[in-house]
Amino acid sequence: MFKEYNLENVEAKVNEALKKAHKSHELYNDVVTFIDPRAQLANMPKTGKMLGVPIALKDNVCTKGIRTTACSNILNDYEPIYDATIVKKLAAAGAISICKTNMDELAMGGTNLTSNIGACLNPWDTSRMSGGSSGGSAVIVASGAVDFAIGSDTGDSVRKPASYCGVVGVKPTYGRISRYGIIPYSSSLDHVGYFTRTIEDAAVALEVLAGRDDLDMTSSDRPVEAYSQQLNSELKGKKIAVFKNVYDGLTNPDTKALFAKLIANLTAKGAIVEEVSFDEKLLKAILPAYYLIANCEATANHSNLDGIRFGVRKPGKDVEEIMINSRTAGFGSLIRKRFVIGSYGLFVENQEKLFRQAQRVRRLIVEEVKRCLDEYDCLLAPASNDIAPKLNDHGRDELSDEYLIIENHMIIGNFTGYPSMTVPMGMINGCPIGVNLTCKAFAEQTMFDIGAGIEEITGLKDLKKEAA
Amino acid sequence: MKDIAYFKKLAHQIMFDLSDEEAQDIAKEFDTLQKQLSLLEAIDTTNVEEMIYPFEMPTTFLREDVIENVCSQQDALKNAKDSAEGHFVVPKVVK
Amino acid sequence: MEYDVVIGIEIHCELKTTTKMFSSAPCVFGAKANTCVNEVDLGHPGTMPCVNKEAVKKAIQICTALHLEIDPLVKFDRKNYYYSDLPKGFQITQQFHPIGKNGYIMINVDGEKKKIRINRIHMEEDTAKQFHLNDITLIDYNRAGTPLVEIVSEPDMQNGKEAAAYVEALRQTLYYLGVSDVKMEEGSMRCDVNVSLKPKGSDVYGTKNEIKNLNSIANVQKAIDYEVSRQKALLDKGEQIEQATRRYDEALKETVLMRKKEGNVDYKFFPEPNIFPIMLDSEWIKSIQAALPELPEVRKERYAKEYGLNDYDISVLIANKELADTYEKVMKTAKNAKMACNWMIGDVSAWINKNGGSFQNINCEYLGQLINMVDAKEISNSQAKDIVLPEVMNDQDPKAIVEAKGLKQVSDSSTILAIVKEVLAEQTQSVEDYKNGKDRALKFMVGQVMKKSKGQANPQMVNQLLLEELAKLINN
Repeated sequence: MFKEYNLENVEAKVNEALKKAHKSHELYNDVVTFIDPRAQLANMPKTGKMLGVPIALKDNVCTKGIRTTACSNILNDYEPIYDATIVKKLAAAGAISICKTNMDELAMGGTNLTSNIGACLNPWDTSRMSGGSSGGSAVIVASGAVDFAIGSDTGDSVRKPASYCGVVGVKPTYGRISRYGIIPYSSSLDHVGYFTRTIEDAAVALEVLAGRDDLDMTSSDRPVEAYSQQLNSELKGKKIAVFKNVYDGLTNPDTKALFAKLIANLTAKGAIVEEVSFDEKLLKAILPAYYLIANCEATANHSNLDGIRFGVRKPGKDVEEIMINSRTAGFGSLIRKRFVIGSYGLFVENQEKLFRQAQRVRRLIVEEVKRCLDEYDCLLAPASNDIAPKLNDHGRDELSDEYLIIENHMIIGNFTGYPSMTVPMGMINGCPIGVNLTCKAFAEQTMFDIGAGIEEITGLKDLKKEAA
Repeated sequence: MKDIAYFKKLAHQIMFDLSDEEAQDIAKEFDTLQKQLSLLEAIDTTNVEEMIYPFEMPTTFLREDVIENVCSQQDALKNAKDSAEGHFVVPKVVK
Repeated sequence: MEYDVVIGIEIHCELKTTTKMFSSAPCVFGAKANTCVNEVDLGHPGTMPCVNKEAVKKAIQICTALHLEIDPLVKFDRKNYYYSDLPKGFQITQQFHPIGKNGYIMINVDGEKKKIRINRIHMEEDTAKQFHLNDITLIDYNRAGTPLVEIVSEPDMQNGKEAAAYVEALRQTLYYLGVSDVKMEEGSMRCDVNVSLKPKGSDVYGTKNEIKNLNSIANVQKAIDYEVSRQKALLDKGEQIEQATRRYDEALKETVLMRKKEGNVDYKFFPEPNIFPIMLDSEWIKSIQAALPELPEVRKERYAKEYGLNDYDISVLIANKELADTYEKVMKTAKNAKMACNWMIGDVSAWINKNGGSFQNINCEYLGQLINMVDAKEISNSQAKDIVLPEVMNDQDPKAIVEAKGLKQVSDSSTILAIVKEVLAEQTQSVEDYKNGKDRALKFMVGQVMKKSKGQANPQMVNQLLLEELAKLINN
């Protein structure tokens, strides 16, 4: 909890965090680069909402003079010449960044298996994956090394690993947190998100991170609310829509039982819980629409990685050859395949029926969800069908309803830009699984309030899996 | 059905190579992709506008024309693999 | 065979702003390499664009001056391609929604006015500058991100002369707006020309060739004239025109093939997701339009009305905005518009050409006073030109100079008459000679009067008074 930190204990706490982080790095491969905290300690402010809190940053957050790779070979030796806006905000609030965390290469994945430094392991069961793309950040918070870590969420890259690792994973409204300085994936879907172990810390963190940044023209100038001060876990009268298509599609009885229990408890606490169904055809189109939008934007976003001004440069007899050799060696196989798909979707002859069709379907999905949230305070569903998959689990049928809907419904939060959060729901076979709630645009307060209510019901506040 | 050569050529346009194996993989995955895309095509989007941004209220902000952020030449060239006389260096570009 | 020539022109023009189109790094021409950049201009990961208000303002000014409809909802798109001078791997431009559509400019060719339609104007960003050495290329990103407008004409021009007149009219307009340096030789204005021929009267366009990077207005005309004759010769021989990009070789005085077009390049344009559409405040647009600097055409009319100058004088003044501006300032003091114009175009311009310096530094009140002195015959033309003007150009008060050097022209008839009588009394021989018809004697006596007046007597008056007095002597 952020409350435990202050000016007096900062050095001891930072050293303790570093020690734990080294340990979790050893066990789970969750860290890419450690940061020497001395300069930050010397320059830290005297007051701040996160004073003395050791934190971790996903390795796609640009940190001036500190290696930032996004876990891609092409940026293996990249040292940004500027700080991301959130890095400045966190420093101004007194937080101390101690490391950069493991992630899927360029955030383009949901498993953390595609990182150039290898998979990130789940602290609850190291034969399981952390989930991704913000796997390292989820794990380092779950392991108790730090109480806060930055992630980014384009599909469900904060909320899915939060579910698998048993921590709180927040993706606020699009534009609520500046994206300036975050190595992008897909600009219209990218969100800065973060991990904590309590809703209260999550509320404080958003006060620090949120706010207009003129460097990010898509950031919102809405005033930032006093989320933590106003935090109210009262569930009475809260209108909660249960995502029926997801609930019905659950094949894991344990997950279904946990969710049913949660619903019963919510009702008992006075919440008005009702089932809401969406057009199944639209839901099945979420993944393909996402896949196209994300990859089309990504292929353009990463055209700057050419070996000319920064990043790995492989020799070549001319500029074209340098670019081709650098990008071939610099990007993993999966990334190149996705760029090929993205580029294919953008071709003049394909754009109408692929990229633009995906954008139109996005609108239909968003309208559907908006209609629901006009009537309810939040949309609730399990974050996934099951606990974290095994590292070697490749047996998923990517055309099954289970996969298309159950494992991808959280993309709705990215399509709509609405605030969405995963909170631990319970344990199955010693591993955690989360519940996801999505609220109206800029209704983060409602999201934290309901989240706090759920936290009280589950009793899974400050859940962690510290190394023995 | 798109063949290996097609994907290799496409990759080249966006400046990288695919091995035979990788191109073969894409060709295979393309099949799954086509099926997923058929789910997309199945949706009637007549008279539906593309949604390009999550929020569509136009903004009004424009940046004032004031110098605020310049980096040093040293920083500009810091990550360059080859530089000379303050410039980035590449093999001769033939126009 | 007879052909119709079809010419369309695309002009890229750098906007004169303090900072870049999408970043707050400075725009400076000729600065040390890579010192006017930040992470945005270098295309570093994680950077995002932020639209420059002044660049939008200048684009609005241009659209207004060229009569385009302005789209108040500003949107940007990505144009994707890989090139060593393009930091992000895409250029941010306005492919789908240009800020301005459907305008025109009037040109004047051999006294004939013609309307050239402008299809669109859009905003975009410049690329880095490359220096090609023997075996390497050096890249300087200072220019990367500099705001540009692209002005695309309709194919309304039919020969090199019209094309040159169009480019010159645009250049002048943009210069008067103060939105750009419009220096073709420095690249702040770049010109690409499309030329095609079709059988006379046909409505099917021929295959076009694009001539890129023309670096002067003279070359625009020469390149087009050459290209037209080249295509004509080919067509006359029954050959096909191949679509291609060419450049103009000044030494050869020919257009030379750069590359053949192999189909159209797919730039995979799509809307820029990092810039939400920006709704421009209609009051702001109106205020920009209301405060639009005076355009050359308007100024021409005003000069005719206000100063009564002829077309030639006006066009010489307008062609150089600094000269014209200075002329107007001088006219606040000077009384004779034509005389002031002659001075500006003639001796003042000559002085600046010879001695350097600029029109802006001239003390226009002093210059006006000097012209008034000449106009009032207080000093002679040659005194003004040779002695006083150089001093005025160094910010010296012409009255003080005239005073100090004793140049004041005496035009007081009684003073001059006294000297004339004195000379007539002294030079009896010359008077005799004059009576006997020797005209040279008059010249001699004028000289004597001038000498006695230390050169200050008004020579015309001396002449006149001498003649009158001599006439009296003869008649007596």
